[in-house]
Amino acid sequence: MSEALASLLTALADDELILGHRHSEWTGFAPHIEEDVAFSSIAQDEIGHAAALYSLLAQRSGGDADGLALGRDAAAYRHAVLCERPNRDWAYTLARHWVYDTADAIRLEALHDTADEDLRALVTKMSREERYHLIHADAWIERVAAGPVEGRMKLEDGLKEAFEEALGLFEPIEHEEKAVHEGYLPLPSSELARRFRELAANKLDELGVQTEIYSRSDEAAEFVASSSGDLIASGDEHAESQPERARGLGGRSGHHSDEFQDLWDVMTSTYRNNPGATW
Amino acid sequence: MDVYEVFRRGGHKEPFEHCGSVIAPDSEMGLLMAKECFLRRREGEHLWLVRRTDIHSFKDESLLEIAADKSYRFAHAYRDVVKKRDKARERARELGETG
Repeated sequence: MSEALASLLTALADDELILGHRHSEWTGFAPHIEEDVAFSSIAQDEIGHAAALYSLLAQRSGGDADGLALGRDAAAYRHAVLCERPNRDWAYTLARHWVYDTADAIRLEALHDTADEDLRALVTKMSREERYHLIHADAWIERVAAGPVEGRMKLEDGLKEAFEEALGLFEPIEHEEKAVHEGYLPLPSSELARRFRELAANKLDELGVQTEIYSRSDEAAEFVASSSGDLIASGDEHAESQPERARGLGGRSGHHSDEFQDLWDVMTSTYRNNPGATW
Repeated sequence: MDVYEVFRRGGHKEPFEHCGSVIAPDSEMGLLMAKECFLRRREGEHLWLVRRTDIHSFKDESLLEIAADKSYRFAHAYRDVVKKRDKARERARELGETG
């Protein structure tokens, strides 16, 4: 199969699996019993999407979906760093949920025109669930943003954290040019990022939250927000050559945080105990 | 005048079920009408009246469709687990005997 398509499927699947895993850590601990069930369902949806994407990849390249999901070294994963961050608190979780599902909606919309027929069918299926995920995320952050003050402040903190690393979702995938050229990725990641920034700026404006959302540590992946909520981002094609990687970048080339190592240890422990077992 | 939806319960442990609607100027009048329309032959022992505008539903019902395979939410998807567990126990026993 095309290495560009393999790269695209891996990035998509890994995003869904790792975020789904983080979401699932709320099971039994969410701040509201009905929401515990709802959020766990969303976690299952995301992991289900990952399973479908891994199956497609396995069909084309040999191997099996379980092996792809759980049998790789940590450095072989290509999800955005944002997905692997610990849940921290409910506000950060909601903020990341919103950032991710907004980004995912934009990505899936573009993938409706992908050159691969099976992926196209899968995207149609996934979009139906992702649409609901975004409605869920919207509903939550709108209510928390409306107050009381403590929740609103926590949400602002969470959004700031999540936005700082959002660009990592739109970091070019491996073989990006080829993926665009061959039509698997109908729009380049930079265009998807532009659409995300536009949507995100509107949303923050609508919420009326503090929009001084910017990247602290670097200029490579900067989200600068004016008081009107307009986000300005500056990209840097030479991030690879920088000694210190920009916050939230590197995931698409397998550079992950220690936090991911912890997640990987837990997530793959059963599989590693008995590789190839069927459950 | 408002439209009220009427729910009726057949017995103490039964769930309330929708049985029809009445048009009435207020809930008190609505209850009297519902009693005559829906409970006159002892079809149940309790009535609820809910103003139709107080009932909420998804504007887009396609959100309720299940898009992907959710077999893992059903017990039958785990039927094999018992067999596999027995097999694993047997294997563990054998290993115990030979080891």
